[in-house]
Amino acid sequence: MTADNSTKPVITLSGVSKAFGATKVLQEINLDVKLGEVLVLIGASGSGKSTVLRIMAGLETADAGEVWVNEVPLHDARRAREIRGHVGMVFQQFNLFPHKTALGNVTLALIKARKMAPDEAKRRAIAALERVGLAERAEHYPSQLSGGQQQRVAIARSLAVEPRIMFFDEATSALDPELVGEVTEVMRGLARDGMTMVVVTHEMGFARKTADRVVFMDKGVIAEQGEPEAFFTSPQQERTRQFLHRVLDH
Amino acid sequence: MSTELLMASLSTLLQGLLVTLLLSVCAIAGGTLIGLLAAVLRSFGPWGTSTIAKLYTELFRGTPILITLMFIYFGVSYFGYSINEFAAGVIGMSIYQGAYIAEIFRSGIEAVPKGQWEVSQILGLTRTQAFFSVVLPQTRKIVLPPLIGQYLSLIKDTSIVSMIGLSELMRGGQGIVDRIGKPIEIYGLVAVLYFIVCFPLSQWVRHHDRRSLL
Repeated sequence: MTADNSTKPVITLSGVSKAFGATKVLQEINLDVKLGEVLVLIGASGSGKSTVLRIMAGLETADAGEVWVNEVPLHDARRAREIRGHVGMVFQQFNLFPHKTALGNVTLALIKARKMAPDEAKRRAIAALERVGLAERAEHYPSQLSGGQQQRVAIARSLAVEPRIMFFDEATSALDPELVGEVTEVMRGLARDGMTMVVVTHEMGFARKTADRVVFMDKGVIAEQGEPEAFFTSPQQERTRQFLHRVLDH
Repeated sequence: MSTELLMASLSTLLQGLLVTLLLSVCAIAGGTLIGLLAAVLRSFGPWGTSTIAKLYTELFRGTPILITLMFIYFGVSYFGYSINEFAAGVIGMSIYQGAYIAEIFRSGIEAVPKGQWEVSQILGLTRTQAFFSVVLPQTRKIVLPPLIGQYLSLIKDTSIVSMIGLSELMRGGQGIVDRIGKPIEIYGLVAVLYFIVCFPLSQWVRHHDRRSLL
């Protein structure tokens, strides 16, 4: 890979705005994510952080501005679908397929979308499940797994399609506190392996330890961003200080 | 009733039952296909088709099946073509029942969380693949009990096709009564035959309805 490639952003948002009805959820957002970067988006609910993530993943379209993800112009309706199958997303509610085993969850897209032979899909799925430490649960249905295990299967399902970028939308928010660790541990592993990640989370510990950059959103704009150490120890904005005070002081 | 008469009646009725079963199977297949298509168009079709699907379900849910049958049977000859009673019965029952079956599928499809569509999209499935591999299989538990219930009433409703002259079970019974009388015995026998077909299905629905409540 050339030096030029490694510094070129894989995600670029420029002047992105979005409204739901009369509510402006995003106003003129500019944001780049570099290859291999772990970007953590934090902010109060309703700040627009999940909408930014969903726009990057192609689940929402921006009303204005340009969105480039993995060289696909998502603002161009004719080309937006090219992103499908090239990024991964992990949801708060897991969204596992309840009628499929863990293995079936992982192989489905490989067989249907990638047209992979069942044997090869199975081999790759087992490898993905091993990566999240769940190969021995391959034949279990989602309802037979704990929340943490379900989310790890969801991560394996995303990884199996070999995405260029992984998005995490409050991946640990629906979990019991004692199950959060096993999921963030898997996420840390991905970060160490060099995966480009955009993570919306309330886990400040994860943001502090794993993020390359923290972006704080407030009322549809990026209020402050920076390296985690500086961001958490000496925030520049009053509203950042107030937010951190609220979430860290309990 | 003499044994001879009974045997002759029974053989007529069994032939009628065969027609009823054949008609039911064809109408179940036709109605299910039409219903699924109408449900899909209503939920995901581009705007014109979604309205058409809605009009279709409302129209046939709001009119008697006999009218549908009459329109098809006599309507076809009005335009100078002819249609046999069985074909008219299958088409009429399919269209009519399809309207009810569409609503059953629609409630099932809409009960599947939006996140299932979203994750399918992210994983690279087309909408059609997502529908058939992810969404439709999940509607099974919600859809199957009312669907089988609908099939039950379809089987019983096939007796109405006797009105356009098809010699199915009901008309077979009427023919015998016209010839030899004894309406109580003959219609009783007809009822027993319908019951034998429908009872296992209704037991199945009862069992699965109770299970889904638990």
